[in-house]
Amino acid sequence: MKAVTANRLIDGEVVFWKEGAWVDGFGDAQLFDDAQGEAVEAAVAAGKAAPTVIVDPYPIDLITVEGLGLAPVSYRERIRALGPTNELLHGKQAEGGAVVEAIRHASGAARSTGRVDLIRRK
Amino acid sequence: MYQYDVIDREFLTDRSNEFRHQVTRRLAGELTEDQFKPLRLMNGLYLQLHAYMLRVAIPYGSLNSRQARRLAWVARTYDKGYGHMTTRQNIQFNWIKLKDAPDILDALAEVDLHAIQTSGNCIRNTTADPYAGATAEEIDDPRVWSEVIRQWSTLHPEFSYLPRKFKIAITGALTDRAAVKVHDIGLILRRARDGSLGFEVIVGGGQGRTPYVGPTIKHHLPASSLLSYLEAVLRVYNRHGRRDNIYKARIKILVAALGAEEFGRQVEEEWAKIDQGRADLGDLELARIRGAFAQTPFETLPAHSEAFEAAKAASPSLARFARNNVKAHKKPGYAIVEVSLKAVGQTPGDATADQLDVVADLAERYSLDDLRVTHAQNLVLPHVKLDDLPAVHAALEAAGLATANIDLISDIIACPGLDYCALANARAIPIAQDIAKTFADPDRAETIGELKIKISGCINACGHHHVAHIGILGVDKKGEEFYQLSLGGSGAEDASIGKILGPALSADRVAPAIDTLVDTYLAARQGEERFLDTYRRVGLEPFKEAVYAQAD
Amino acid sequence: MPKLIKLAGEQAQWAENTFVHVADEDAIPEAGDVILSLSRFQAEGDALLSSNSRRVGVRIEPAEEVEALAYDLPRLSVVALAFPKYRDGRAYTSARLLRERFKYEGEIRAVGDVLQEQAGFMVRCGFDAFEPNDGATPEAWTKAANRFRHVYQRAVDARPIAADERAQQTAQAKEGAL
Repeated sequence: MKAVTANRLIDGEVVFWKEGAWVDGFGDAQLFDDAQGEAVEAAVAAGKAAPTVIVDPYPIDLITVEGLGLAPVSYRERIRALGPTNELLHGKQAEGGAVVEAIRHASGAARSTGRVDLIRRK
Repeated sequence: MYQYDVIDREFLTDRSNEFRHQVTRRLAGELTEDQFKPLRLMNGLYLQLHAYMLRVAIPYGSLNSRQARRLAWVARTYDKGYGHMTTRQNIQFNWIKLKDAPDILDALAEVDLHAIQTSGNCIRNTTADPYAGATAEEIDDPRVWSEVIRQWSTLHPEFSYLPRKFKIAITGALTDRAAVKVHDIGLILRRARDGSLGFEVIVGGGQGRTPYVGPTIKHHLPASSLLSYLEAVLRVYNRHGRRDNIYKARIKILVAALGAEEFGRQVEEEWAKIDQGRADLGDLELARIRGAFAQTPFETLPAHSEAFEAAKAASPSLARFARNNVKAHKKPGYAIVEVSLKAVGQTPGDATADQLDVVADLAERYSLDDLRVTHAQNLVLPHVKLDDLPAVHAALEAAGLATANIDLISDIIACPGLDYCALANARAIPIAQDIAKTFADPDRAETIGELKIKISGCINACGHHHVAHIGILGVDKKGEEFYQLSLGGSGAEDASIGKILGPALSADRVAPAIDTLVDTYLAARQGEERFLDTYRRVGLEPFKEAVYAQAD
Repeated sequence: MPKLIKLAGEQAQWAENTFVHVADEDAIPEAGDVILSLSRFQAEGDALLSSNSRRVGVRIEPAEEVEALAYDLPRLSVVALAFPKYRDGRAYTSARLLRERFKYEGEIRAVGDVLQEQAGFMVRCGFDAFEPNDGATPEAWTKAANRFRHVYQRAVDARPIAADERAQQTAQAKEGAL
């Protein structure tokens, strides 16, 4: 599974693509399965076409956290989706809830995948 | 203290207005992100993982109480109530919105603070000895020269689009608290045999991917020729520094490629062609700047304070604080007080808005309205009367700021790492917190003595891991956070680059490995040796064996 | 032909661009003012200049050193300093050397990725003509070039630096006191 993410220009907030709009929460992100490569590309292209709205759109890989839901595979993306791990009340994680719990528990899952090169480099 | 005049203030206003205009144009789509990015960086604004980050300069690491309170206000109003001290005497706010940035710069300019050239490929804020004007070892006041450089480098028309960032550090003391040997240019104030003031000029030190202890290219530059000589160095670099590869663009690569001698020769050749009468600062302006720093209203006091001695005898915590955080002052009856931002469990270098207000009050009341920030991410009250130490300590203790660990194992330097930074490969803060918890016993920390641990979340080395007694570098190994340890570095007057201990360790193994290193050191230690001294005597092997034997 | 802004005192204004940038692979036009690359100029410049019927300029890329033009400068009407990317700052040094070291008095023109954000730096380093790449008008250019009321370091322009202004204030204060 994939989602598409970016930062919002005006405030730097992490945002996710959802059906033609950019939303704040990972839990609201539109999910793309592996057959939807073109839709992912279209979402990225839509982001690039809106340079006064968002900065640097790109797709991220997701995994299933057993019994909890979905989470970004790479820990960089999990931190973006949550907030800093040294201040647990700052950023998106402050709201709490099932989505946050799933991402927080994803570390084991990411390691068990053993996949490489999951962190996006510029 | 140097006070901004109308000229300095109008300059900040103009700069702020320029940035407001640029933000407006960016939001309107008149500037692309590629065009805007260098402009916002030169105003200290980064786009990080969660938000924009604003890096505010603290020139020569010195703040008055009004400035410190304004930083606290910014933290409360535009951030989440805290700021982070960097390893180069700046403060960073982590939760800034682009739309607020011009207003913040206006608010900072009202108290003579700014974010000019705190990022970008230009001459950055100059780092200076945080004990300037307070330590007896000082040959001359580095703040004077830092202010000279601040003005000269601010919006320099020729040197604002260099191949890469450019960092200068100055010390006037033999003890190096500004890491001058690992800067693009390091300046050490020295007196020649005839008594004339000059600089030893070190060029091409640095950390990052290719760390170097910088070579000296000039042993005695007459102080009054500083700016013309800097112009020559920068011009050689601007023309010949590499621009084809970001990792080879720093001046250290040019100096290493040419050799220090040839680089020095090219600088001399260029310097000889510069009209020094035009390039150097006139005596009048230099005297004006010097005069501003000379006017510190010290009182004549006895060298001994009964009140302090009595309070120390009565309070073990004050006694511990005095042993570790109180340093000798040049004036009898005064002391330099270090305020640690490294309490156990805390994020290294973070100060809350409330804490900033507390230290602002203390600086105003007890330290001649002067507060310093250090490259080790701590604060300093540079001019505290011995008689006032008990009161200052009590106030710090009440604010959670009296941790007595300066230069001890829990006084860890750490960059923001992957918790905030878009460049990071791994987190640095939780590792620092783990280690601080492992060594939370203050008696043990004192027994271990001076031990500088520094952590970077990527090879850019903002956490100075190359020049740590024990350096820790976060790497990404197959999608996991791993940490590479190195030993034997120093960023001080005995500068050296650390050697890698062995294969990187997973996060949960770092603190136990440090524990093993410390045990190995204590077992091998002779007399009063520091960790670094023991390491330099016995070498890497015993440490390596201890850490990796245990692992297998 | 790219639009050209020229400096007249502190004001920037539109100027007629009579020069043609001749690419190395193109033939030099029969007549008219031309700007050539350094290598082309070194090969063919003498012949063009001796015909005396047109003006010649040279385009210097960032990696090329203006010292190469030292003996030709009196014959050149334009030195065009190229900014392949606006972040490449070598042309600022080139401009300063042309003005300060070689006393070049002809036109120094900024070409390539030229944005109004650079106007102040360019003017201070001795540029007096600009082919803006961002659609900047002379009004915007003038404003950008004069945005700062004070400067801190000496450059090519004759602007008094902060230290000069302060010295003058001090002198005036003394006079006032007498």
